[in-house]
Amino acid sequence: MVTRTTDIQTEEDQLIPSQESKAPSSQPLSVLGGNPVLYPLELPQSDTRTSTPAVGQRATRPDGRLHGLGQTQYIDDISFPHMLHAKILRSEYPHARIVNIDTSEAEKMPGVIATITGAEVPENTFGPTYQDQPVLAYPIARHLGDGVAAVAATTEQLATEALEKIKVEYEPLTPVFDPLEAIEDDSPKIHGESNIYTSKIIKKGDVEKALKDSPHVFHRQYKTQMVEHVPLEPQATIASWDGNGRVTIWSSLGRITLGREDISRTLAIPQSRIRLIGTIVGGNFGGKNEIRNEPIVALLSKKSRRPVKCVFTRDEEFTSSTIRHPFIMDYTTGVNDEGLILARKIRLVLDGGAYCSWTGTTIGKGSILAPGPYNIENVFVEAYAVYTNKTTTGAMRGFGAPQVCFAYESQMDEIAHKLGIDPLEIRLKNGFSENSLSPTSQTLQSVALKESLNQASDRFGWKEWKA
Amino acid sequence: MKKRGRGMACMWYPIGFTVLANPSAATVKVNTDGTATLLTGTVETGQGALTVLGQIAAETLGLSTDDVHVVSGDTDVTPMDTGAIASRTTYVTGNAIVKAAEKAREILFEAAAPLLNVKPNQLEARDKRIQVLGFPSSSIPISDVVQHSESVVGNPAIGSASYNPPTLAMDPETGQGKPFNTYVYATQIADVEVDDETGEVEILKIVAVHDCGTPINPMLVEGQIQGGISMGVGFALQEEILFEEGRQINPNLTNYIMPTSLDMPELEVGLVDNYDPTGPFGAKGAGEPTAVPTAAAIMNAIYDAVGVRITSLPATAERVMMAILEKQDSEKTAATG
Repeated sequence: MVTRTTDIQTEEDQLIPSQESKAPSSQPLSVLGGNPVLYPLELPQSDTRTSTPAVGQRATRPDGRLHGLGQTQYIDDISFPHMLHAKILRSEYPHARIVNIDTSEAEKMPGVIATITGAEVPENTFGPTYQDQPVLAYPIARHLGDGVAAVAATTEQLATEALEKIKVEYEPLTPVFDPLEAIEDDSPKIHGESNIYTSKIIKKGDVEKALKDSPHVFHRQYKTQMVEHVPLEPQATIASWDGNGRVTIWSSLGRITLGREDISRTLAIPQSRIRLIGTIVGGNFGGKNEIRNEPIVALLSKKSRRPVKCVFTRDEEFTSSTIRHPFIMDYTTGVNDEGLILARKIRLVLDGGAYCSWTGTTIGKGSILAPGPYNIENVFVEAYAVYTNKTTTGAMRGFGAPQVCFAYESQMDEIAHKLGIDPLEIRLKNGFSENSLSPTSQTLQSVALKESLNQASDRFGWKEWKA
Repeated sequence: MKKRGRGMACMWYPIGFTVLANPSAATVKVNTDGTATLLTGTVETGQGALTVLGQIAAETLGLSTDDVHVVSGDTDVTPMDTGAIASRTTYVTGNAIVKAAEKAREILFEAAAPLLNVKPNQLEARDKRIQVLGFPSSSIPISDVVQHSESVVGNPAIGSASYNPPTLAMDPETGQGKPFNTYVYATQIADVEVDDETGEVEILKIVAVHDCGTPINPMLVEGQIQGGISMGVGFALQEEILFEEGRQINPNLTNYIMPTSLDMPELEVGLVDNYDPTGPFGAKGAGEPTAVPTAAAIMNAIYDAVGVRITSLPATAERVMMAILEKQDSEKTAATG
C-alpha cells in the first residue's frame, strides 16, 4: 500500500497540478486499507484512450498507472484479520519413499495452528495433461522441490521454524538425473514402467531416401539448458472459508476457470463452492498456468478455520515451481548445391523433470515447429519427453520453440556458410510463403515470414553491413 | 581483441493450444450512458491483455477504449476462459469478445432501426453512434439507443459468446493434421562484439521485426517484443539452473544471472503489415514469439564474429572462450600437422 512521509508529500504537491493537489492534502480520501491518497484520483485524459476507432490506438494501460502509483494489490499486499502464514517442508531426497511423517512436535509449538501432509489431501494428484503431480508428495517424493508437509502459523517465521520440528522418515530410492540415462530400459523408474512419458512423431515424405540423395548432408547436436521464468511476484495464494462451506481463493494463477476445476478435484468439493479470484499477476511467462499451493492453503485454512496465506520464497520459485525443458536436439539436414533443403531429420529428447506438467503442449509445439519455417518435402521428427528426478519442467514462453529455433537457425547458418550463400538469401529461398505446406501438411495463411526477413534486413542494413 | 559479428534468425509460432480445444467466452454489457462493461475469465499477467481486450470490445461497439471497463479474473463473475497461456488471449479471447459485442450491438441495431427507418442490417456502430451504413448524418448516440432499447423496447444490450480455434487432430503415426488455426512469423538480427581473449559477448543492437496480424495496440506489441528479447538475451548468454545430484545450486538472484537493463542492447522494433481474416480485426498474437529467435540470432552473430559455433546454451564467456581455444588449437594442429 502507499504510505508517504510528509517530506515526500511536499515534493508530491510540487509535482502535481496545484488544483488537484489541494484535495488530498486538505481532505484526505481513503482507499482500501485506509491510507490517504496523495495523487489525483483521475486517469489522465489521453487521446489514445478517448478517440475512435479504438483498434490501432497506442492506448495507455489503466493498470500500468496503478502499478506506478503502488496501488496495485498483489496477493502479498492483501491480508485479513487472524490470517495465518503457511510454509511447506520440502523433500530431503531427490527420490525416496516416505515411510512416516510426524508433525506432533511442530503442532505443540505456540503459534502453530495447523499442519497437513499428503495423506490428508482428498485427491492428491493434479496436472494439465496427466494427473501425476501430488499436492504434497506421498508416499513417493520424486524431486527435492516436492512438498511433503505444510504448516500454518501466526507468523511466517514461526511457520518456518515449525518445519524443522517435523520428522520425516525416508527410504531413499535410486535417482536418475540425466535424461539420456533415464531413457534406457535399465534406468531407475520414476513413475510406472518407463521414464518416457510422452512422444511425438511428425512424418512427411521419405526422409531416408531424400537424405541419401542429397548432395550435402549436415549433422549436429544442439543442447539447451534449464531456465526459470523469474517472475517478480512469486506464486502466492490466500484461502478463506465461510460458514456455508464455501472457500474463496486469491491466487496468482494465470488460468482461473481451469484452476478451479483442479482445486475442486483435489479438495473433492463442487466447483460451485469455490470462488477463485485471479489477482493482477506480477509476471507469469508460463510458470503460473497450473495450480501449485492452492489446495495446500485451502486445506490449512479449513483445518485452522482462519484465512491462510502462502507466498513462495525466491528459492521455492526456482525449485518448486516449473521451469523450461532442456532439449537435446539432433539435426540432420540434406540440401542441394543451391541451398534448397531436401530433407530434415530431427530427434528431440526433452528433460521432463519429475512430473509431466505442460510437457504435452511443449513436445507438440516443439516437434511441429522443429523443422523451421521452411518448405521441406521430406521431414521426420521424433521427440521423447523423459522423467528425471529434477525440478518439474512445464510451460515457459515459447513451449519448446526457443529451443528448436536455436537448433534450426544455427544449422541454417552453418549450411549457408558451407555453401557460400548469404544467410538472408538461404532463408528467403527456403522460407514459407502464403499457402506453403507446414510439416503437418497444413496450408498456411497470413504468412509474413519473408516480409519480416526483408524488413529486418533493411532496418539493420544487412546488405551494406561491414564488421 | 574485440570482434564484431552479425547474425539473423527467423521463426514461426502458432497461436493457441496444439489440437486441444482451448475456448474462451465473454460477456459484453452496454450501459445506458453509452459506456460498456466486458467480462472476461482471463487475467492480466502484466502484458496489457485487458487493455487490448477492452479495445476489441470498444471497436466492435464503435466506442473508445476509455468507454469500456474490463472485469476479469473472478470465477463467481466472469465466464470460462482457457487462460493467459499459449499466446492465445488476443486471438481466442478477442474473437469471443467480438462475437459477444456483436450480439449486444445487434440488440441496439434492432432498437435503432425503426427510429432511423431502416433495417437492422443497414446500421453500423461508429464514433459512439448507431448510424445508417455510410451516413453519419443519419445517426443516434449509442447512449440514446441503449436507453430506448432498455426502457422502451425492454431489451437490455447484453451479449455473451464463445470462440474456439478450429483444428484437425494430428494422425498419431505421422503427425499430419491441422494442429493450430494460425501462426505468426518474425525475424531478429543481432549485432555483437566478442572479446576473443575473454570470450565475453556484448550485444550492441538487435533489430526485431514481428508479425502479429493487425496490432490492436502497437505500443503494447512493442513492449512485448522488448521484454521477449530480454528473456532471449538471458537464455542466450547468462541464465542456467545448475544441478548437483538433483539439487539446484543457484536458486537465487545472486547466482542465477539474468540480464539487467545494463545488459540490454539498443533495440529497433518493427511490425510487418499483415491481416489475418480469422482473427479479431485481423489480429493474431504477440506474447511468446518475441522470445523465440533471439538466442539463435546471437549465436549466429558470435559465429560471424569469431568463427565458433556454440551448440550448447548459454554462451557464457567461459564457454565461448573454450570454443575459441579449441578452434585455435585445431588450426595450429592443421598448420603443423
